[in-house]
Amino acid sequence: MSYAYLFKYIIIGDTGVGKSCLLLQFTDKRFQPVHDLTIGVEFGARMITIDGKQIKLQIWDTAGQEAFRSITRSYYRGAAGALLVYDITRRETFNHLTTWLEDARQHSNSNMVIMLIGNKSDLETRREVKKEEGEAFAHEHGLIFMETSAKTAANVEEAFINTAKEIYEKIQEGVFDINNEANGIKIGPQHSPTNASLPSSGQGAGQGGGCC
Amino acid sequence: MFSKVRNALYNAVGGVEALPAVADGEDQSRTRVPKFPYARPHFLLFQQDEVQVSADHQIRPIIVPRDISKIPWLSGYAETVNAGKSTWNEDQACVQQRILVRESEKHIQGAGMPYTYFALFDGHAGYGAAVAAANQLHNIVHKKLMDVIDHVLPPLELGNNGVHGHMEASTHRGMALWFPEKALPVDAFITGALELAFNEMDAQIGEDKKKYVMKGGCTCVVALFIAGKLYVANAGDSRAVRCSLGKPYPMSNDFTPSTERRRLQQLAAHKPELLSDNFTHLEYNPRPGRALMGRKILYRDVFMTGWAYKTCAPEDLRTPVVTGEGKRSRLLATIGVTRGLGDHELRSIIHNTPIKPFLSSHAEVKIYNIEAQKINESDVLVMGTDGLWDVTSNERTAEIVQHSLQNFPFGDKANAKYRFTSAAQDLVMHSRGKPEGHNWQTTGGAPGTIDDISVFVIPLTPYKSEWEAWKQKNEELRQIKSAKLPTSSIITSEEPRTDMDLQFPADSLPTGNQTTGPSDRTTTPLQNGTSSSSIPIEVFVSQPDVANALDLRLAEISLDAEEVLAPEPEDTIVSNGESSAATGDNADPTSPNYCER
Repeated sequence: MSYAYLFKYIIIGDTGVGKSCLLLQFTDKRFQPVHDLTIGVEFGARMITIDGKQIKLQIWDTAGQEAFRSITRSYYRGAAGALLVYDITRRETFNHLTTWLEDARQHSNSNMVIMLIGNKSDLETRREVKKEEGEAFAHEHGLIFMETSAKTAANVEEAFINTAKEIYEKIQEGVFDINNEANGIKIGPQHSPTNASLPSSGQGAGQGGGCC
Repeated sequence: MFSKVRNALYNAVGGVEALPAVADGEDQSRTRVPKFPYARPHFLLFQQDEVQVSADHQIRPIIVPRDISKIPWLSGYAETVNAGKSTWNEDQACVQQRILVRESEKHIQGAGMPYTYFALFDGHAGYGAAVAAANQLHNIVHKKLMDVIDHVLPPLELGNNGVHGHMEASTHRGMALWFPEKALPVDAFITGALELAFNEMDAQIGEDKKKYVMKGGCTCVVALFIAGKLYVANAGDSRAVRCSLGKPYPMSNDFTPSTERRRLQQLAAHKPELLSDNFTHLEYNPRPGRALMGRKILYRDVFMTGWAYKTCAPEDLRTPVVTGEGKRSRLLATIGVTRGLGDHELRSIIHNTPIKPFLSSHAEVKIYNIEAQKINESDVLVMGTDGLWDVTSNERTAEIVQHSLQNFPFGDKANAKYRFTSAAQDLVMHSRGKPEGHNWQTTGGAPGTIDDISVFVIPLTPYKSEWEAWKQKNEELRQIKSAKLPTSSIITSEEPRTDMDLQFPADSLPTGNQTTGPSDRTTTPLQNGTSSSSIPIEVFVSQPDVANALDLRLAEISLDAEEVLAPEPEDTIVSNGESSAATGDNADPTSPNYCER
């Protein structure tokens, strides 16, 4: 399917906060209670529509484990959006947000849109981090904020799509240089995906052109 | 993340895509398509989207299997794409678990010998040869092993059919008789099978290059776990290193113009026509320029280890067959690796001289006797393409592996399964390094490799346990056979098939060549009538004598083996040009038809 833009996302946060589950819920609309540890990086993709335009989200899901931190850092580069996730039932995952944010700011491009996500909102009885705390942190650091549940799918669509809307607005405002792929934004291929399919297409999805 | 259905759909849609119109090419190219579509290794379970993302030259993501149980023994695998020198990652990998079993014993549970195959292929000048080898070499290896099965795994009933009459079927019916009289060791036959397979794979690629778009060549390193040992067959500059307690023990040699200088010069000296007066087999120190004409220059011929003087003549100004040193050495001023598969069309970048005659597909096979060694959970085999070894030495590799394994200790039940994956990832990370501006830098500040990197980290103890268990059960099976148990407990293919026979549980378990297609299976007599898979397993348990006689545990191994196998629509075993063409054609309908150019 052709798209007007491709936005590259990265999902970061402590191990076990539900990064892979959020991705799975968003791309496949399903929940997997027991998920293998993510080692390195995994990918997901989905098409969404904003302002009548088809936008492809290419999402990089990273490992949260401390042991993989240096590898995760190399994936910030070239992301237009980041979902920074903590677990509302585990205080320490919230406490580590500052470190994650520092990492993200240091290794990404300065325009990257960051969405703070308090995940596992379905586990209200085990809540350790108040929603207001999340809001305050987001406000303080200039992030968008949402509480989600990868299990019930609550707010999952919104989290990904609102981030995309923010990126889209920045493009409209001319903040992003969309011709520089290092910003995590690509203009869609001119032709149908058969042309972009493997492996005749050289560097993959087309340069220049665009449907917008 | 993506469903298999979607993948199938994609392939189907890709398959009906019209062949690209050829405006300028010759007639032949109009019909030529790749024999195998470009893909990443089967065990990564990648969708097209992910193949695209994994080839991001800016980020160079380090890819590990999302389902690590797809690789035997939770072995580690990691890869990363090059920094832009070619569009696609030209490394390929393959893993197979199969069972070596003769047709007449296929239905007897535990009769066959399970083996495991790991392979890495580092492609150059195109991905065609590497992809072809990743799709086919294991089938050729299997066929070559089957050709010598009598020497690797004697029949359960010796001397029964005349073929094995030369073996003594008297005293024991066990391991002792695995060797025929005047025996060559089993090693000789497995080594021979590997050597022959490499050779045949190369010939196959040569044939296919005439019919399909199949560009380039590739190195090839195979680790075969069979008969209680590890056999590493290598052709090229990929490398296999056994690591134990932080120390490296090489299991292969690199084959580069530098290390094969003598072979190349001798070939050039004996067949000067291959050089067509453009190159010289002599070696100079230093290489003379025009200014030295008529002066004394240092040289040596192929029969010399020392040096001597000669007067510089016009022919001394020709380019030596081997130029440069070490990793930068080049054959005919072009290629930096001298063994491997493919490259049939390769010509020197100067003078256009054909290079293939100088390349060799000969595998060097090294053996490690796992059965006889005391090994533990930290003993691994690291196999990597040269992208790894260009930056990370054998010694450093062993240290990194040891460090990674300590991060995921064997005793940590929850996370131990990631230990080899993590080690593989750490190795790739070490050689790739981090992006610094437009370069890649290792943690020490040294340049990282810009090449593709692929690494396996394979633990050795699981095969040892697997082998010992199998050997014991197989021994028991042989004793039962020799004790002449009632025919109802052991079926042989000679016996007429009855309903009673169907109760025999071995039918319900996978045996033999696991990737053989359904069409092959129907040729076995046991497939007549009732579907074997419908036989209830309770029948098995209700016959304790048979249950003892046969191998429940091996049943598990066999089932596991089936799970890790790559889905293969066609058995691409190649015996000659005719059949290979047929299988090749049959294999194509499921693959997207695209043009490589």
